[in-house]
Amino acid sequence: MASIITATVASGLTQSADNSGVLQLASGTGNLVTVPSVTGTAMVSGNMPAFSAFGNVSYSITTGVDTKVRFETERFDTANCFDSTTNYRFTPNVAGYYQINYIGRFQATSPTIAYVMLYKNGSMYIVGNQIMGIASGTNFDLPASDLVYMNGTTDYLEVYINVGGTSILVNDNGTTTFVSSFSGYLARAA
Amino acid sequence: MTLTEKIISLYPELNVLDFIKPDRTIVLQNDGAGDYIAKWEHPTFPRPTDEELA
Repeated sequence: MASIITATVASGLTQSADNSGVLQLASGTGNLVTVPSVTGTAMVSGNMPAFSAFGNVSYSITTGVDTKVRFETERFDTANCFDSTTNYRFTPNVAGYYQINYIGRFQATSPTIAYVMLYKNGSMYIVGNQIMGIASGTNFDLPASDLVYMNGTTDYLEVYINVGGTSILVNDNGTTTFVSSFSGYLARAA
Repeated sequence: MTLTEKIISLYPELNVLDFIKPDRTIVLQNDGAGDYIAKWEHPTFPRPTDEELA
């Protein structure tokens, strides 16, 4: 049983009530949604930021240095929370838990080891992935993912990479498929 | 000469893995405006001065 508020074509808004303590909403007949008996923010597409960006302009980096990965091209950015021009960072405007995915693509001469890292608010949050024994001069992808809490105001995320070797290039010129990439979406509000 | 090379020239006992491995005490970083020392907590070697790195 439940108290039900229904929008109908014939009668407009109707309601029926009982003492179950359960509230249901309906658009038309039979399309019932039960309102959860918890405190929280209703999540709809309009308040669930999602973005996807990639970097395909290669640049040199110094061995042994945590260097920010650049993502210059956005595939989408539903809430304008990703900066693809200056800082290459994601600053979501809704507090909650974000599923974050990233790939660092690089090549180097005589590479020894490489790390891809997620930075939160300018400091390393986690080493997402590492690789050793990499072929010299071959493009390589380091994929990683994580679920990260963001406060919806000041928290931001960036991707960094550190490679042992010489003649290190991050990103791969021109391609739109073999790229460093950075994407994420709100999985659950705070 | 890169920042990494300058530091290793000052302290030849160090190698590039000391700046990469997970338990590192030295973090070099580049946010887009050049390489710099983000953290120096090496137990033996003092942080190089700006003059030494110039």
